Amino acid sequence: MADLTPAEWMAIWLSLKVAIVATVASLPFGIFTAYALARWRFPGKILLNGAVHLPLVLPPVITGFALLLLFGRKGTFGPFLDRLGLVFAFRWTGAALASAIMGFPLMVRAMQLSFESIDRRLEQAAATLGANPVWTFFAVSLPLALPGILSGTILAFTKALGEFGATITFVSNIPGETQTIALAIYAYTQTPSGDAYALRLTAISAALSFAALIASEILQRRARKQLAG
Amino acid sequence: MGFAMGRVFRTYSEAVASALARNTRWIAALALAFAVCSAEVWADPPSAAPRASAKPPIVFAAASLQPALDEVAAAWKDSTGKQAIISYGSSAILAKQIEQGAPADIFISADLKWMDYLDKAKLLAPGTRKNRFANKLVLIEPATFATALEIARGFDLAGAAAGGKIAVCAIESCPAGIYAKEALESLGVLASVKANLVQTENVRGALALVSRGEARFGIVYATDAKSDPRVRSVGTFPESSHSPILYPVALLASSSNEDAGFFLAFLTSQAATRIFLDHGFEILPK
Repeated sequence: MADLTPAEWMAIWLSLKVAIVATVASLPFGIFTAYALARWRFPGKILLNGAVHLPLVLPPVITGFALLLLFGRKGTFGPFLDRLGLVFAFRWTGAALASAIMGFPLMVRAMQLSFESIDRRLEQAAATLGANPVWTFFAVSLPLALPGILSGTILAFTKALGEFGATITFVSNIPGETQTIALAIYAYTQTPSGDAYALRLTAISAALSFAALIASEILQRRARKQLAG
Repeated sequence: MGFAMGRVFRTYSEAVASALARNTRWIAALALAFAVCSAEVWADPPSAAPRASAKPPIVFAAASLQPALDEVAAAWKDSTGKQAIISYGSSAILAKQIEQGAPADIFISADLKWMDYLDKAKLLAPGTRKNRFANKLVLIEPATFATALEIARGFDLAGAAAGGKIAVCAIESCPAGIYAKEALESLGVLASVKANLVQTENVRGALALVSRGEARFGIVYATDAKSDPRVRSVGTFPESSHSPILYPVALLASSSNEDAGFFLAFLTSQAATRIFLDHGFEILPK
């Protein structure tokens, strides 16, 4: 454990940074989208549902390429965001954006299922007692949906930890800036003597993801127990 | 509404507080584990940036330079304390990324074509482009074999491969692939082996395939063959069969990093020259 090279430590630290930022930043969007898809009826709902799930079914390279066209230095929004000080192309922020988008469908699916499973009568009861929809959401729906929200968050986090195709296409493979664990492993597989490093990072990546999934399971069980009791 | 939101906030904070109180042991254990794991990291933080406040220069270099350039960067760090960040890849992919605005300070290409590509797009700092290194193209196989095959016009590569794969870099874009295609074409054997070709993203990928025994043959640079003990060189392609393999180096116009110029100069220093020669590169006169 102690004899990891600086490059490997860099990749691990960068992966964690990118995954945490991606998950935290997409959380409000994920919860809102999941709630909208679960509770509301509106024109274009099918399109929204399709758009949310697109990164799940498209080849990741296509998602990365689309991001490049939209947010690259010469992309549609790139120059505008550049002037605002928000640079995505070839930066860790771009890696976070790619990871967030790739993990979004997983986040929304888990949260949507959770919202759909809440007894609507509880929300209706709150309404009859005089609560407005916003209050009901924060005080009734959100706490009741907590297991699914936790599950969705951790799923998105683990997906972000392991994101490769969209990341390497959008922000390329720059050590220290965009070279996350998956990209570092890819670079090592291209090096004839890099197999040992690749295997080591693979093991670490698997351990991190496994730990996150176990933590998710434990948190969900506790949340469910507290809801039931 | 404000009163209601205040009540919601209090309810949440009470819930969080009681959750924390109920789980102090878990939290303490997690905090301890985190502290132990991160002690390693904080004691010697992974830093892309050196102790000095200046940003490290970013070099985009052809994949074939990897072992040699890593050593040169280490030597530079030993002598100046500064670190260079090197991103390796196929010169084609790197050039396209630079065109897209990748934050590189220096570009080292494995052929003139991709340096010309950036030159035409006016992305090079004027007057900084120089041809520095040269290389040769070789046919390799896993070291467990001992094929005796002379590389000349019409040589029977397809027969020697006997259905096995020949690993090359992408023949339409990657410099090593382009040289390989030229060489095979001029020797009149391209058509016979086209079906056997396995194209990788960069030349080190082709080397890795042969090194692992997945491909029967490979066409890579002499320096690549030299760097890996698990492959052996069957023969060198005649220089007349392909364009000269030259590595141009240039500073990029968008670079504002002072250290980039120092690193560029270090590439031609005695120490660096020694390292490149050891790895099998030819140094072009200044």
